[in-house]
Amino acid sequence: MNDILFNVGYGHFLVLAAVLFLIGVGGVMVRRNALIILMSVELMLNAANMTLITFARMWGDLSGHTFALIVIAVAAAEASVGLAIVVAVFRGRRNVDVDRLTTLRH
Amino acid sequence: MKFLVVIVTAMLSFGVAHSIAEAQPAKQPQATTRVETKISPHMDRVETPAGNKGMALLFWAFAAASVGGALFVVTRRNLIAAVMGMVGSFLGISAIYMMLYAHFLSVVQMLVYAGAIMVLFVFVVMILNRPEDEPVAPSRRIGAGIAGVAILYLVGRLVMMLMKVQPPNPAKAIAAPGLTPEGYDWGSVKAVGTDLFGQGLFPFEAISITLLVAVVGAIAIARPLHEDEPTPTEDERLGIDRTHRDSKP
Repeated sequence: MNDILFNVGYGHFLVLAAVLFLIGVGGVMVRRNALIILMSVELMLNAANMTLITFARMWGDLSGHTFALIVIAVAAAEASVGLAIVVAVFRGRRNVDVDRLTTLRH
Repeated sequence: MKFLVVIVTAMLSFGVAHSIAEAQPAKQPQATTRVETKISPHMDRVETPAGNKGMALLFWAFAAASVGGALFVVTRRNLIAAVMGMVGSFLGISAIYMMLYAHFLSVVQMLVYAGAIMVLFVFVVMILNRPEDEPVAPSRRIGAGIAGVAILYLVGRLVMMLMKVQPPNPAKAIAAPGLTPEGYDWGSVKAVGTDLFGQGLFPFEAISITLLVAVVGAIAIARPLHEDEPTPTEDERLGIDRTHRDSKP
């Protein structure tokens, strides 16, 4: 127990990333608001980034940092397009509840 | 929420004090060998995966901040509260990156996520300006319960598996990463940039095209469709169908 508490190793960072990822998965599965779902996806991308950086540090290889940077850029693109879709859907239907979005037209 | 903030702050202050106190004696023997070559400015920093108690406390504080913020996101009804939890989570994650010697990415995380993307989310929340009714649909409660059990099981298995992860070369992985082969400080802007514009050049160019397409697509989607189109009535907007009710005698 003392070892787990005070001897922080790579496993701790990986477990933290896994927990964040699973919270994101739970948010995507459970919540109905499209904005919260987008935020949960961002959370999952961050957890993946943390794993990349942990392994980069572990192997002493900087490629992990490069790839994490690229993931951040993709996340920014995803957020902008996703929010644009949310705004467009809201303009037509006045709500962003994914359970009530059943048709492609508005 | 306030309770969490107090706990995290106390852990932070205690952890900083502890790690400073533990870092002091470690500096002494380095003074003799420091003369020779170019030494990274981060050489005297406390190592992360080496069992330093102050560092462990800092890790737990930032882990609590990021996990607490993430839980805040998926449980709050108020969208602004969810976004603020997200900001706290991102700040914690950025501090964790700093512990992993990813200084540049830590700053990028703070600027891009906690700064830009979260501002975007706040903007959209303000545009929508609708309080959320019920976070979880009643019909989905059973599914959510099953999902919760499945997630807990997954967490258990993952923790058991990941805690056993061993670095390939423990001595090298525990020591502070010194300089890259090009002679730059590990994790610094120069080191990451050298890698990004070396072997990561093609992904970098692909990312620039992706961002361009995303910008054009976002503008195209969010633009009002047709100005001459009749605006939908309130019933249509809310998805209320009154035809069946009216046709009944």
